[in-house]
Amino acid sequence: MNKKTLIQKAAAAPHIVWSVLFIIAPLIFVMYYAFTDNEGSFTVSNFTELFQASYLEIFLRSVCFAFLATVICLVLAYPIAYFISRANAKTQKILIMLVMLPMWMNFLIRTYSWMALLEDTGIINTFLGFFGIGPVHMINTAGAVILGMVYNYLPYMIIPIHSVLSKVDVRLLEAAADLGSNPFTVITKVVFPLSIPGIISGITMVFVPSISTFYISQKLGGGNFDLIGDTIERQFQTAYNYNLGASMSFVLMLLIIISMTIMNKYADDDGGVII
Amino acid sequence: MKRTNKIYTALIFVFLYLPIAVLILFSFNSSNSTNSLAGFSLKWYKELFSDGATLLALRNTLVLAILSSVIATIIGTLAAYGIFRMKNKHVKNALLTVNNIPMMNPEIVVGISMMLLFVFVGRLVNAQSTLGFGTVLIAHITFNIPYVVLSVLPKFKQMDRHLPEAALDLGCTPFQSFYKVEMPQIISGIISGFIMAFTLSIDDFIISYFTIGSGFETLPIRIYSMTKKRVTPDMYALSALIFLSILILLLISNFTGNSNNAKEKKPVTLKQKKTRRIVIASTFAVIAIITGAVFISTATTETVVVNVYNWGEYISDGSDGSYDTNKAFEEYYSNVLSEERGHKVKVQVNYTTFTSNEDLYAKIKSGVGGYDVIIPSDYMVERLKNEGLIQPLDLNNIPNYKYIKDEFKKPFYDNGKDTYSAMYTYGIVGIIYNTKYVDEADIGGWDLLWNEKYSGHILQFNNARDAFGSAMYKLGISVNTATEDEWRQALSELKTQKPHVQSYVMDEIYNKLESEEAWIGAYYAGDALSMIYNNENLAFYYPKNEDGEFATNIFADAMCIPTGIDAENKEHAEAYINFMLSEEPAIANAEYIYYGCPNTLVTNNQEYRDYLGEDFDVIYDPDIEENIDDLFSNYAYRNLPADKLALLNKLWEELKVDSSSFGGGIYIVSGVIALAIVGFIVFSYVVKVRRRRLYWNTTPKTK
Repeated sequence: MNKKTLIQKAAAAPHIVWSVLFIIAPLIFVMYYAFTDNEGSFTVSNFTELFQASYLEIFLRSVCFAFLATVICLVLAYPIAYFISRANAKTQKILIMLVMLPMWMNFLIRTYSWMALLEDTGIINTFLGFFGIGPVHMINTAGAVILGMVYNYLPYMIIPIHSVLSKVDVRLLEAAADLGSNPFTVITKVVFPLSIPGIISGITMVFVPSISTFYISQKLGGGNFDLIGDTIERQFQTAYNYNLGASMSFVLMLLIIISMTIMNKYADDDGGVII
Repeated sequence: MKRTNKIYTALIFVFLYLPIAVLILFSFNSSNSTNSLAGFSLKWYKELFSDGATLLALRNTLVLAILSSVIATIIGTLAAYGIFRMKNKHVKNALLTVNNIPMMNPEIVVGISMMLLFVFVGRLVNAQSTLGFGTVLIAHITFNIPYVVLSVLPKFKQMDRHLPEAALDLGCTPFQSFYKVEMPQIISGIISGFIMAFTLSIDDFIISYFTIGSGFETLPIRIYSMTKKRVTPDMYALSALIFLSILILLLISNFTGNSNNAKEKKPVTLKQKKTRRIVIASTFAVIAIITGAVFISTATTETVVVNVYNWGEYISDGSDGSYDTNKAFEEYYSNVLSEERGHKVKVQVNYTTFTSNEDLYAKIKSGVGGYDVIIPSDYMVERLKNEGLIQPLDLNNIPNYKYIKDEFKKPFYDNGKDTYSAMYTYGIVGIIYNTKYVDEADIGGWDLLWNEKYSGHILQFNNARDAFGSAMYKLGISVNTATEDEWRQALSELKTQKPHVQSYVMDEIYNKLESEEAWIGAYYAGDALSMIYNNENLAFYYPKNEDGEFATNIFADAMCIPTGIDAENKEHAEAYINFMLSEEPAIANAEYIYYGCPNTLVTNNQEYRDYLGEDFDVIYDPDIEENIDDLFSNYAYRNLPADKLALLNKLWEELKVDSSSFGGGIYIVSGVIALAIVGFIVFSYVVKVRRRRLYWNTTPKTK
């Protein structure tokens, strides 16, 4: 028995060592850089600098863009996840495969492809031109950035909602109908509450990458809509200001932890879901 | 499904597949445009298989994905086993929480946190290069492990606890019990964890972007640097091929594989078991062979690596049948070294690109690079030299240095006793405009970039020095000796320009001007001529001030060697610089880049003069050539004192985050939606409370 427990204890050891070295230690370095200046002495000036109106606006803008992208994803994804979950097993499998397939292609090149679609001289406007419409200005607008987020992260919303909905017992829906619910009430009172776990994990999977993206805003926003991700990326790759970048990352992490905690609390009340 | 439901589903799929359809369509385009079709051709597929750099990146991506997912699967499976067997609940929960961190944290934070660790450790041990294959491999393993743990752990939980105990009672050793009893039950979790890890690794860009260094380029990183200028359709062709192969794979697995439900019902026959074992064994064998082959191929011959870091589109790279400079150097230098050492030596040039001097500086200063040859511009050479980040060249190793014109041998940025740089190109910043849309009366000066008539079609530099330069030339402020007030003046000038700017660009300018998406932009003269070559509506001029005097930036880019590399690498780097100055590569590069070339072997070459034709007098404008010293001393950027550099960074940051161009509509919409959601939650809570009171006369329990 002794030998066995030793092996069992040792089995997790590489993982523990790895986690300490490459998960915990890097986060400590983020904090270290966030609270020091470039000579290594303690300071909070990196954080006070973030309280300028322009940085606050970047945070506000990122939160708003990510929030809207998440809401739009949810609104678009819920019906399709529901429709797919009502189809027969074979169709379901194929449709879900089709939802996942775009994620296997590099997201940079798909976003770049959207540029070609949205430009003033791009494909959509050329197409509209045949009907004498336009050109409609689409690229380098807030809408284009949000569209990019919705496009890239929509599958992350569809899949968890679908996987919850496909497990809903059909007999429950029938029972509700038998008890006099109309189809709309069945959805709002039975299906929706049952699917909240899926919605919560979908929201997380869309909100987190949206709030921290930098590529989408650079390509589809033309550099006019700086998000948190852009600002962090610039500190590390161009401006060589690791300290400011680390403090922004720190704030971003806090933002996400806070919003996740709030959401989990709400989810706990409703069904006890932990992501 | 009802009809409307079907239509809705179809619409969502159109949305998801639209960009992919565009991508596949344009991979068959006969021109290199990615937004207008010219005709059908397969040439990009052919081009793809002769594009060494892309294929190498593909290979790197696969090697990285296989290695990282195999290692992550081993560590992750062991960890799941250990965590499952762990008695102490607190330790268990702590481990699982830590395990979740890489998944919950935004990728950018994971990326930069690891970069900070590597940079710090690299400085501590004084490493030559901190970032490279090793670091990106560690990063990939780190974000892969959690997914493996999470897909294996549930399998342990589903397993009958007594089975391994029974096995032990019957005389199995713990290892046998794991291998014979537990393994078959968790294998599906292991496989799905592995596949998950593999795909995440193949597709990862953000974490690689921060942890990758010189000498190793993955496909997503290559695509990223391509989207900074223009994506050639051969990348589209590659994506189309990848898409097709995944589609086929998925279809096969969907239609031939017995579905999960069937498997559970029918007992597995011995034959099925055998085939399954064979499939698993052969998959692992293939993986092992590939990894083995890669290691052997890199280990058998002695390989000399030269890491070169250059601007984008700044070398003749073999595209469209042109001279492939790096390949030619590899061949030439491999022969030289093999002869010298008496055995076969392989030479490999790792060529990566940057988009601004500041990007280059950030890489060199943090010591992450490991670059052997870098090609910064004048003021950056001066700065790197002053900060001790580049080292003197040994001119004995660069005999071809003598071919550089005398007036360029001791340029203003490098005129000390030692020589730190060998000039590669020089040129002037000009303004490019589209004659179809821009009134000839408006051209002449820098104010064209501020002209409200063309609002929304103006491009501005996406780097601090050039962008501020444009405002300062416009205002008549000296770019080198400006006071703080003058810098702020330039900033407010740029802020008034911002609402009219379509976007801030570097090499993206090619595509935007050639496709007529934008009409006006300032860029380097040689590039302007290549753009005009691609679109005849474009024209350009050297901007003048109100007094009709020439007022724009003249620059030089020069080859340098960073400090910190060892003596042997320095010799290879010098051999590379020497090669770049020899006749054939110098001419090929001058023809490709279209900038002024300081090399007499080039400018005296009749073929080169014939090749340029009329453009020769534009690039080597006699007026400019005559006063080149004057121009350099008056109009080139100099390195700024530390306080001004900090100011410039700060002001640039201020401009980038300035949001005068942004209305409040989005905030209002988000606010309203947020309020509606909060309202809904409160409302449903109140309804719930009331209902409970009504029926059960209790309040909901709080947890």
